[in-house]
Amino acid sequence: MSTAPAAAVERGSLLAGGTRTRLAQAGPAKASEAVVFVHGNPGSADDWVGLVGVAAGAGKRAVAFDLPDFGETIAADGFEHDVPGYAGFVDAALRELGVERAHLVLHDFGGPIGLYWAATHPDAVASVTLIDTGLLPGYRWHSLARIWRTPVLGELFQATATRPAFRFLLNRKEPRGLPREFVEAMYDHYDRRTRKAVLALYRATDDPGGMSEELVGEFAQREIPALVIWGEHDAYLPWEYAARQREAFPAAEVHVLPTSGHWPFADAPETVERLLAEFLAA
Amino acid sequence: MPSTDSHSPIIGDGPAYDAVIVGASLAGCASAIQLGRAGLKVAIVEKQPDPKAYKRMCSHFIQASGVPAIERLGLLEPMEAAGAVRPHMHMWTKWGWIEAPRERSKPGIDLRREVLDPMVRAAAAETAGVEMLLGWSAERLLRDSGTVAGVAVRNREGEERELSARLTIGADGRDSRVAELSEVPVKTFPHNRIAYGGYFEGPPPKHSPDGLIWFLDPHWAAAFPTDSDLTFYAAMPTKDRLPEFKEDPEAALVRFLADAPEGPPIRESRLVEPVLGKIDMTNRMRKPVAPGLALIGDAALATDPLFGVGCGWAFQSAEWLADSVLPALQGTESLEQGLEAYRRRHGRELAGHAFFIHDYATGRRMSPVERLMFSAAARDPKAAAIFEAFGTRRIRPQQMLPRLLPRAVAVNARHALAR
Repeated sequence: MSTAPAAAVERGSLLAGGTRTRLAQAGPAKASEAVVFVHGNPGSADDWVGLVGVAAGAGKRAVAFDLPDFGETIAADGFEHDVPGYAGFVDAALRELGVERAHLVLHDFGGPIGLYWAATHPDAVASVTLIDTGLLPGYRWHSLARIWRTPVLGELFQATATRPAFRFLLNRKEPRGLPREFVEAMYDHYDRRTRKAVLALYRATDDPGGMSEELVGEFAQREIPALVIWGEHDAYLPWEYAARQREAFPAAEVHVLPTSGHWPFADAPETVERLLAEFLAA
Repeated sequence: MPSTDSHSPIIGDGPAYDAVIVGASLAGCASAIQLGRAGLKVAIVEKQPDPKAYKRMCSHFIQASGVPAIERLGLLEPMEAAGAVRPHMHMWTKWGWIEAPRERSKPGIDLRREVLDPMVRAAAAETAGVEMLLGWSAERLLRDSGTVAGVAVRNREGEERELSARLTIGADGRDSRVAELSEVPVKTFPHNRIAYGGYFEGPPPKHSPDGLIWFLDPHWAAAFPTDSDLTFYAAMPTKDRLPEFKEDPEAALVRFLADAPEGPPIRESRLVEPVLGKIDMTNRMRKPVAPGLALIGDAALATDPLFGVGCGWAFQSAEWLADSVLPALQGTESLEQGLEAYRRRHGRELAGHAFFIHDYATGRRMSPVERLMFSAAARDPKAAAIFEAFGTRRIRPQQMLPRLLPRAVAVNARHALAR
């Protein structure tokens, strides 16, 4: 099965909840139904540019934006760096964009944020694509998160996260290594604001699997179409959670990519693009 | 006086046959052809009554190492006439594709077992001196003072015959009844992958008819084009991926291959037979000889199907046995000498390969040394040529390592400096 060619992606900005964020979008600009990409940590709207084009190629409006204090976006004063705070920002952005129904595409910490938004706006969810994220019952934070959550140690870590150290840390657990430009761009955005935001977000999230049980039943009864893509060598979120997403999304199509790590859209872009395009076109 | 395990007498003054072979699959038939052509009287018994029976759970892939033995049997041309393809190999690794220069690599041969098995069986049945008994199973071994002296067989109607022979050959596969009855020493090695595969028709994979293998570390996948414009797609993930394959074997197989890097066009293809799976593939390595007895093919060494060596080694081990025991069966030396020669040949040719195969069959990921060699082979044509000769089992590990390891170090050092 061949997929449609990717559409051109426009760059712009968006004011949502008092925060001016960067925006990447493609496809029919006025459509009230859109594919909405929510990045993880570290990450930004840039993570999604390729997939935004692919989603638009599948005939959908597609939007991606920086979360506050990620990418090049500075959070508004008083922004709460926690899951409800970020989900509130997503909601504000979608309202500003006129998006009434969303095909969520979530990665990493974008998962808890996007699913929190979905739980509070269940009628607005058209579908869910989970990329190395999802509901994580029983999950215990990975080692880096535990460092970030520890006072002083977290600050020390962020203070010493030089570019070579960052590059080494990211790549050492990736089975095929990540594209150099992807890692470099990620570090370029990993500035003081982002480092502080990361500490705040992780420290505010005591139990990453905490809301899972309650949401599983709620999502399951709505029979939301879902696509799950997971790198089998994800060092942060174990691939075994991929199949467990069916507890909340029983019809989910689950793909565990055998040679991918935590960023399948970076180390296996063709596969992720194909899967997403087919899913959105179905 | 010779006796059976149950101490019943055998009929006649001397052995009725020079050799009796249990199992009329590839190894057994190859053995029957060779011994029959040498003028010996051979009985070959097979529990399947249908002469067109064939082994279903097989990738049909025959490595280049097995081709000379097939050629010597006179089967190469008939196989090609029946549509067999002659593949070279392309191996995906995370460092790139390993593709040996064409002029330095040798092709294997691929023909579905549905076609190959009846062909080989017919060739054996037509060989002068060979008597084929279909629908008979081995019941007991006949013994003469501790030496195996033939086999008692029984058909589905309960009729029993005792086939006395100077040499009894077990060619009855991985779960060899002959090996079990003879109580030869056996070593087992764990296998922690599962195997699922099926034939598809549709657009050919790239480089067809060459074979494509993905070393997904620790998983494995393959696309083997074959006769009738079919492609055998196979997946061998570790056992932790079993639930999805059990739930829907076809969907899991298609997803696994399609999601592989540079995956083949399996989603655009149509499955023509049900996907078959195998979960227990414990490696078994048996002592291939006992007094009056030899084991060939999988009965001697049932090893990981991941490396596609089973069919080739069936033909090759039959050839080694014939070469080793013919002088004895023709009366110029003792059978004991012949069997010892076979044991040594079998060990020399296969023990090194088996060691490495069994080690990787645990489902582990590649070791640093393996990563060194695979990456060098993906980066350097000369390293790829050595790697290909080893992978197609044309050279042994002890021939490969001294040539490939130093080159792998140099290639990777150059690569690191160039970055």
